[in-house]
Amino acid sequence: MPFRVVFSSMLGRARTLLAVLGGTVLVVAVAAPPAPAPQKSSRKIEYGRDVRPILSQRCFKCHGPDAAIAKTNGLRLDLAEDLTRDRGGYSVVVPGKPDESWLIARVTADEATRMPPASDSKKGLSEEEIAVLRAWIEQGAEVKPHWSFVPPVEPKVPKNEGPKWGRNPVDAFVLAGLREHGLEPVPEADRHTLARRAALSLTGLQPDETLLRTFLQDTRKDAYERYVDQLLASPRYGEHVARYWLDAVRYGDTHGLHLDNERLVWPYRDWVVDAFNENLPFDKFTVWQLAGDLVPKPTTASRLATGYVRMNPTTNEGGAIEAEVFARNTFDRVDTTSTVFLGLTVGCARCHSHKFDPITQEDYFRLYAYFNSTKDKPLDGNLLTPEPVLPVPSPEQAAQLTRIRNEQISLLKAVRASDLSRWSETLQSDPPSPGPWEVSQSYPAKDFDTAFASELGPEPGGAESNATWKPIEVPLGRVKEGIGGRENAAVFLRTVLTAKKEGKQTFLLSSDDGVRVWVNGAKVHENKVLRGATAPPDTVETSLKLGANELLIEIVNSGGPDGIYVLFEDPLPAKARDAAKEQAKDPSGHALTKLYLGSGPDTPAAVRYRALVTEEGKIDAMVPRSLVAEEGPTVPAYLLRRGEYDQPQQEVKRGLPTFLGELPASEPNNRLGLAHWLVSKQNPLTARVFVNRIWQQHFGTGIVKTSEDFGSQGEWPVDKPLLDWLAVRFVKSGWNVKALHRLMVTSAAFRQSSKISPAALLTDPENRLLSRGPSFRLDAEVIRDQALKASGLLVTSEGGQGFKPYQPEGLWEAIAFLESTTSKYTKDTGPEIYRRSLYLFWKRTSPHPTMLTFDAPMRETCTVRRSRTNTPMQALLTLNEDAYLESARVLGQRLAQERTSDHDRLCRLFEATLCREPKPDEMELLLGAIERYRARFSAAPDQAEALLKVGDYPPPAEDVAAESAAWMLVSSTVMNLHEFLNLP
Amino acid sequence: MNPIREFELALTRRQLFGRAALGVGTAALGRLLLASGLPATPGAQRHPAEGFLTGLAPKAKRIIVLFMNGGPSQMDLWDYKPKLAEKFDTDFPEEIRMGQRLTTMTSGQQRFPVAPSIYKFNKHDNQADGVWVSELLPHTASVVGDLCVVRSMWTDAINHDPAVTFIQTGSQLPGRPSFGSWVSYGLGSMNEDLPTYVVLHSKVSNGKVDQALFTRLWGSGFLPSEHQGVALRHTGDPVLYLRDPDGMDRKSRREMLDDISVLNQGYFREIADPEVTARIEQYEMAYKLQTSVPELMDLSKEPNEVFELYGEASKEPGTFAANCLLARRLAERDVRFIQIFHRGWDQHSNLTGDLPSQCKDVDQACAALVKDLKRTGLLEDTLVVWGGEFGRTVYCQGALSRENYGRDHHPRCFTMWLAGAGVKAGTVYGHTDDYGYNIVDGSGNVVTPSVDEWVPGTVHVHDLNATLLHLLGVDHTQLTYKYQGRDFRLTDVHGHVVHDILA
Repeated sequence: MPFRVVFSSMLGRARTLLAVLGGTVLVVAVAAPPAPAPQKSSRKIEYGRDVRPILSQRCFKCHGPDAAIAKTNGLRLDLAEDLTRDRGGYSVVVPGKPDESWLIARVTADEATRMPPASDSKKGLSEEEIAVLRAWIEQGAEVKPHWSFVPPVEPKVPKNEGPKWGRNPVDAFVLAGLREHGLEPVPEADRHTLARRAALSLTGLQPDETLLRTFLQDTRKDAYERYVDQLLASPRYGEHVARYWLDAVRYGDTHGLHLDNERLVWPYRDWVVDAFNENLPFDKFTVWQLAGDLVPKPTTASRLATGYVRMNPTTNEGGAIEAEVFARNTFDRVDTTSTVFLGLTVGCARCHSHKFDPITQEDYFRLYAYFNSTKDKPLDGNLLTPEPVLPVPSPEQAAQLTRIRNEQISLLKAVRASDLSRWSETLQSDPPSPGPWEVSQSYPAKDFDTAFASELGPEPGGAESNATWKPIEVPLGRVKEGIGGRENAAVFLRTVLTAKKEGKQTFLLSSDDGVRVWVNGAKVHENKVLRGATAPPDTVETSLKLGANELLIEIVNSGGPDGIYVLFEDPLPAKARDAAKEQAKDPSGHALTKLYLGSGPDTPAAVRYRALVTEEGKIDAMVPRSLVAEEGPTVPAYLLRRGEYDQPQQEVKRGLPTFLGELPASEPNNRLGLAHWLVSKQNPLTARVFVNRIWQQHFGTGIVKTSEDFGSQGEWPVDKPLLDWLAVRFVKSGWNVKALHRLMVTSAAFRQSSKISPAALLTDPENRLLSRGPSFRLDAEVIRDQALKASGLLVTSEGGQGFKPYQPEGLWEAIAFLESTTSKYTKDTGPEIYRRSLYLFWKRTSPHPTMLTFDAPMRETCTVRRSRTNTPMQALLTLNEDAYLESARVLGQRLAQERTSDHDRLCRLFEATLCREPKPDEMELLLGAIERYRARFSAAPDQAEALLKVGDYPPPAEDVAAESAAWMLVSSTVMNLHEFLNLP
Repeated sequence: MNPIREFELALTRRQLFGRAALGVGTAALGRLLLASGLPATPGAQRHPAEGFLTGLAPKAKRIIVLFMNGGPSQMDLWDYKPKLAEKFDTDFPEEIRMGQRLTTMTSGQQRFPVAPSIYKFNKHDNQADGVWVSELLPHTASVVGDLCVVRSMWTDAINHDPAVTFIQTGSQLPGRPSFGSWVSYGLGSMNEDLPTYVVLHSKVSNGKVDQALFTRLWGSGFLPSEHQGVALRHTGDPVLYLRDPDGMDRKSRREMLDDISVLNQGYFREIADPEVTARIEQYEMAYKLQTSVPELMDLSKEPNEVFELYGEASKEPGTFAANCLLARRLAERDVRFIQIFHRGWDQHSNLTGDLPSQCKDVDQACAALVKDLKRTGLLEDTLVVWGGEFGRTVYCQGALSRENYGRDHHPRCFTMWLAGAGVKAGTVYGHTDDYGYNIVDGSGNVVTPSVDEWVPGTVHVHDLNATLLHLLGVDHTQLTYKYQGRDFRLTDVHGHVVHDILA
């Protein structure tokens, strides 16, 4: 009889392992997740599944791959040769002879000498663990590399005896697993259930009514397959599956740290949606995201995809140390890439070699070296579009821009070379020179706005004509910090500028924070801004008299030290010199000619050109941008002691973790080479990791439950041959993602009824063996979108900026910086608010409560598996949140206006929400409910009216108010059913 | 537990559901199910592995954290440095700084002039040698007999986001569970109708909310999200979506929940998934919350002396004082973890303009909370903790005058205080040098604190968290959660229980 394991986690607090074998029942409490513990020596021990978890959990801490520690102990239990080596008359393991093996002697020794020592572990190994070790040694003590580190080989599809069942090879594997545990599959779910299940699983929404009805009436043999194909062809599919990807890559619309300002990267999100909808092969999907800038001919799409690399949370906190932030950003990229594509947690190796997996600290920094040379700055500048960014014009915008640019080029080409050279010769730099500088006392105000707006000091029209002036050094072209302005205060600087020529003069000026400038008593510039003096300077244009000119600068500081940067160089001559060089190198760039038409004499061509530039600028300003990665010069990487940015040790070159092999010499040793390797046959992990996540999407739990960890601490796959078969087939299919979804969703396993039999609950409580159809709570987005769709409110417009629906007041305000661009929440108006949750504006430090309450992650870190909780807060949400109430109301209003019987209206309600007809007892109960509410609201029309006020959608006419309110409550009742919240 | 038996029980319950349907109400049913121990997260790691309890009777059943976000200036509140008076505007000596890193807000400063506190300190009797407290905290000074003032706190991070994240979650990077969620995960709830972990945000009276908070600070990280902190709000619904919509009376709500329950029971009969019964239970909990939370928030029955104790501001919802009063009510109702945030403690400049109003916001209420808990006997098994994410520099940031100055972030020493359950009341722990810059030993020698090996007299953030968990009866090295192949814990691989501050 095959041994049988019951894992009863869902039934109670104690984690009890019930092993039934040979008539003996052992009940043992173990730490989760338990490896099945075979007891009979006749049973084949799998080193990776049975032995290694024991060694890695109980022994590797001191005797594992972390060589630095193992050295001091002289023994590494992860190395086969170390196990059997002769240690002067004895060996740790003597294959076939447990009683002669030192390992057994030590783990069974008394308290004083046993391993693991009492100082490390309160308990020694359990009897079962020791029995496993004994059996393993008896059977020859074979040590195999960890299963997931060996590339998958396509296994044979099992041939099952007994009654035939199944529709595709997946089922053959499932059936074999079930029979091994004495279980049989259950019959197929009814069509209504299947329709809703497949649509929710593939598109995150219930099916359109027409699609549903067509399917229900379709009597062809392959009606279900046809239905699935239509779902896969729907744009809703790409949106739904993209959302899992966005969790993994931690997509957000804000920087994520400290000020948490908005950032522009949603075109990347839309690219992911499109990629899934267009069924971009997963290998290309991978390569573009990691290295779309480095592929031979980068396209807008491939470059856009590199938003992946930029997705880590960033900061620009005042005081932040750039090198520290840089290291953290890079860590995050390494850790995420590792989890998303390799299913490995390498983060531990940042500080020390991994204790359980063969990842050394040096390995970690080899990976780090691939991600440390992008051009983006470590500090985000709190900017919406920290460079590099890619403009992503719409087709209309692109057409307009092409037209404008073509006309610009013809104008540029028409400029005569002689005109150009004559103009360049007239340009020479002759900047005015400042005399000694003086500084005033400071003029505080109650806040920054007042300090900026008020005329407090010696400026023209100012309150004080007799300021006290003191000399001060103001270096040109360098930042001067600490002029003396206090918090929310103005301070003035003055000097006399001597101009050697009369006329237009440009100079560069930056300030901490705001600034106003007067020349000869006339205001020539002001910029109300919060910034540091190192920020990109303003260009101030003025005209000077020959000789002395009075210059007065007011700096208005909000807090911290103030500062100034000023340079009187006229930038034009220098620009022209550079442009001339550039044009000589690349005549088609017209660098100098552009400058000539833009800043030279006002010829008709120049006037037209400038108008075109303005127009281009206007359109361009409307063109969305998206953060992308661009490779800069290779920055040397160093092993950082304990992962501390300020403790660099030896230099480390780019490379794979050693245990995964090497990049082929033909590959460039950069992100592109790494990406190519990820989708190569040499990589044992990526295909497995991805198919496992798709499995998790449809069946609730991965074949490897720990979908984020395929390392030795992760769970052994519940069906390794199935996982390998899927992975190999996926690669063979050309990484065809839609085909993979189709394979799973059209399997007989997926199509089973989700009724639980007592035997299944006992043997397969978590449905890991698929003894029934998948049934689990839907994700936050799906629940919300479903409610909107049932009411008809859902707006399916695709892409674009994140939207802001109803949100309780004060959530952002309670936590945000006042200066943050996301400190105040302003709800959108109009149909925007009814969009799919995928497009919600995602503020990482305060995601929308409808999402968080139902286990959506913050998107600050990579998440490939959400928790699935069941809490009273969720009940309150679906009962009382505006969008849910409004959905119930609008659905109620529609039902109220239908001129049919209550019975028929209830059928409509069930179809819109649960895709099925009510059962007789449900019908009876809800007919009673509608009568009850109808009577109540007829007697209390004011209550009905109050209830119908929720949400922006227009309320019904007064004469149907009571009826609408009654149907609203019945709709809300159905939208709060377990069945509505769950995959059926 | 026997799974077969459990299944039979579940099947029996369905008959009970049948009877409970229509009219009777299902509130009692909720309690019954609660006792059955059905998890809220199927298949998830529900509880820590055995052995995370210290085995000692826990001194603290609940904990109230008063968090001063931004980094309160220990130099001006708790760490009295009389010798600095004569060092006004002198250069901060390099031999004291010893090359320690600074933030980039002051690392470019040409000078580091010493800024002595302008505030008067008075010595107050505690149960040992007395403690010097700034004139800005007159009320707190009156309860020092119940406090253990720790002057030798230190932390790894030098900027706000990482430092606050560190003290709240044990890691400077986002993604880890918060302290409160660890406690919820480890110890669970003590009450039937309120959340386990409650967070309160306070208004700042001077309006300068120049430091941000992040949901991650009370988030559950990789723990199941049922452990995340629940914000108790002073605007709108006190708990999100608590209130039924206008036009819906309690009767309608009850009837609707009964209908939902009956329909769910029918569904359970059909598919026999224990998750359905868990859902029914959660809807009942929601119904209970709708009563218990308004009752909790209703201060109308508090006697006038109480408002006098907490100060006038306690009558205004959302103030720190009102939140302290609510904290006492939450403690009375056995909410396990209560956390009050107060922002605006980041005095880079204009310290003397802003610090007094910050202190005024919190001082009386802090003292009142300690007194009130003591009066009601709750202080016996309630732990109160006050402090921020780091301290502030002795040297001035920006312009220094006799009247005003600013201070940058300082991670190398700062002050917190603890009170209540199991804490050595009326004592002071730890010393700093004459500049309030380095931690020193009893003889004034600079000590080098280490996260790897605890140095007596020092309290690292991990040490504090380890000690707080210890008081709650939890061994911080054993309360773990396996995620991404690793057993994570609040104190990472560090932390030392500082027995010196325990009674």
